[in-house]
Amino acid sequence: MRRAIACPTGSQTRLILCAAVVALFLSVTCLAADAPQVQFDISHIGPRQMEDVTGRNIPRDWGRAWQTLAVAFEQNQPDLLGHYFVGFAQQKLAAAIAAQEKSGLRTRYIDHGHKLAAYFYSPDGGAIELHDTADLEIQVLDGNTVIHSERATLHYIGLMTPAADHWEVRLLESVPNF
Amino acid sequence: MLRLLSATCLAVCLCAATLVAAQQLQVPATITAGSGFAIPTTGSGTATFYLVGPSYATKREVNLGTEIQVSPREVRSAGRYIAILRHDGSSESGSFYVLAAKPASLSFLAHPSRVPVAQHDGIIGVAFVFDKWHNLVRQPQTVDFRLQAKDAAAVSQSVRSRDGVAWTLMNSGRKAGNMEFIATLGGVEEKRVIQQVASDPCHLQIKAERNPKGVLVETEPVRDCSGNPVSDGTVVTFTATDAQGRSTVDVPVKKDVAQAELKLAGPATISVASGVVMGNEVRVGGQP
Repeated sequence: MRRAIACPTGSQTRLILCAAVVALFLSVTCLAADAPQVQFDISHIGPRQMEDVTGRNIPRDWGRAWQTLAVAFEQNQPDLLGHYFVGFAQQKLAAAIAAQEKSGLRTRYIDHGHKLAAYFYSPDGGAIELHDTADLEIQVLDGNTVIHSERATLHYIGLMTPAADHWEVRLLESVPNF
Repeated sequence: MLRLLSATCLAVCLCAATLVAAQQLQVPATITAGSGFAIPTTGSGTATFYLVGPSYATKREVNLGTEIQVSPREVRSAGRYIAILRHDGSSESGSFYVLAAKPASLSFLAHPSRVPVAQHDGIIGVAFVFDKWHNLVRQPQTVDFRLQAKDAAAVSQSVRSRDGVAWTLMNSGRKAGNMEFIATLGGVEEKRVIQQVASDPCHLQIKAERNPKGVLVETEPVRDCSGNPVSDGTVVTFTATDAQGRSTVDVPVKKDVAQAELKLAGPATISVASGVVMGNEVRVGGQP
């Protein structure tokens, strides 16, 4: 026998609480899809060598940032960006989402993976510059109509800085080549 | 027959290629941030033009057969843009890259904010080069890093940026006090203040004097190897050895000196140390 989430009637407080739980559930479900695969190369890093833990966390957080970006752009939810994007990256991406929402547009990223290479790791460990080669399907939608679709290999330069328990993307720019 | 089939296939392929090419909007491969340009169109009637970029998206009606004007403010952010022209249910599109304009700002990270004097490679400077729209300037630029302390000659290094970042390691000076760490690129200057503090104590010297309560032991003013007074709170350890055995007392430096009163009745030897530095030993006689 399947059990649905029971929402008690007759109590507005419980109803509101129930709605909040459902909203939270939906929000979590939106981000529940697996983060994209990220291959990480540190063979050309300098001047600082990367610690093992950082070497595991950078690709993890880069993948999660892209996962967040994809959901935010498809659902026009700039607030989602806040956990993995800061500074100029967050400002620019949020501006893009606000502008596409104003025009009735959405962008869907279908992420087929990233080849990420650490390029510069500052001597104090406070910043990492990355080169990302991303395999992406990009669809631009006007309402529900797909007006543009392509699969492309794109190059991105990223800058990550450490936060309390994860790394955040401070800069994300697509470039023609490395 | 085989030749005819091949020729037909080739013609079909060429035709398809022409059709695909016809579906491409003519956009430049790259432009500089903040530079407007025009996209030519053919045909007649109206169409919908879309521009989707890293921090911008727009949708507007345009007349076919005229140029679509993309204004400078629409292409301020560096990155890849997709231009789409939609007409009668079909789309033409093209993509282009916006590249950073000339350098206009530096994001300068200086580390640490306090550094002991005479530290080899003790100061780290990292500068990221941006244009006026916060796009990373990837073209190599020469960034000058300069350390300027009061009453001392400035020390500077020029570093060529790679992929938007220039960095340097510099030695701290020999005199305690604030100094300015400056990164400069063209007319752009970013300044940070770094406090140089005394390093570890050096050449510890003590004197001891017997009094009715015991022995008063006191250091000479405690300085580092460059002659800077060490910070208040630096711990100095006095060790006394007498007939009863060995005893130690840890004392913080206060106003350049550390002093302690040791309860010693008989003759004793007193030594001093701080960190890895040992000072002199003094011998005191017993109480008269």
